[in-house]
Amino acid sequence: MKALVIDDSATMRHIVADILGGLGFESSQAANGREALDLLESGESFELACIDWNMPVMDGLEFVAAVRARRRWRDLTLMMVTTEGEQGQVVRALAAGAHEYVIKPFTPDALASKLVLLGLLRGEQVP
Amino acid sequence: MSVLAAVGRPEVAQIAQEIFAAMIDRQPGLLTSWPAGPATVADPLYAWVDLGTVPASRVQLATDAATADALARAFLTMGEAEPVSADDVVDAFGEIANVLGGNIKALLPEHVGLTLPEVSRADPSGQRGVEGAEALFAWRGAPLVISLYTI
Repeated sequence: MKALVIDDSATMRHIVADILGGLGFESSQAANGREALDLLESGESFELACIDWNMPVMDGLEFVAAVRARRRWRDLTLMMVTTEGEQGQVVRALAAGAHEYVIKPFTPDALASKLVLLGLLRGEQVP
Repeated sequence: MSVLAAVGRPEVAQIAQEIFAAMIDRQPGLLTSWPAGPATVADPLYAWVDLGTVPASRVQLATDAATADALARAFLTMGEAEPVSADDVVDAFGEIANVLGGNIKALLPEHVGLTLPEVSRADPSGQRGVEGAEALFAWRGAPLVISLYTI
């Protein structure tokens, strides 16, 4: 499976991609929502996008709305991975079309559990 | 409610310890309270985010440059001897401030904005207003200071 990791922090992209790699995902990275949309528009396809909220150029919520506005990307699973932990922000992201929400800080196990919930991973695949 | 009124040292300490346990040390208990006595940060590096209340509140992290290097290596799961670039140190230290600020923001009863993190060798607290919680920690024997104040 292919994942797109979207975060303005290179450190966080590295960590998320590393965890996903250990779970069998191949990852590409983008530093903001606009870069991520460019990758999608270039024809690259992904099963999962892990999306930070606060980013320059295009934030995560704008990215989610842009993806949900296009039928061709309707199968892309969108998971917010963000410091925005208030309940209201979680509701906003889910209402905009995100499927799951992970609040930083998180452990590899927490991320894997969300992927199981999303049906992208089976329980026995979690190390 | 202002950040300073809503967030005290115990909350800051709990959040910091959760961040280090989950994402830096990948085990609990290695970020500890600073033992009694003043903590002097030599050759400091600062990272901060601002929370958009009125007045805006700053969440600032400071440690010495060598410890910031070690933090970046730990965050990036690099070996002790692996060289870490200046960009990686800035990014990793800024991200720690970002996660800290985001979790402090979540304690507030109302939604406020969170700025992108900034990192500098120059102390950004020249414009310091009202002092809030300050938490002193020891990480691998070096001081790490988290301060909240208005700007």
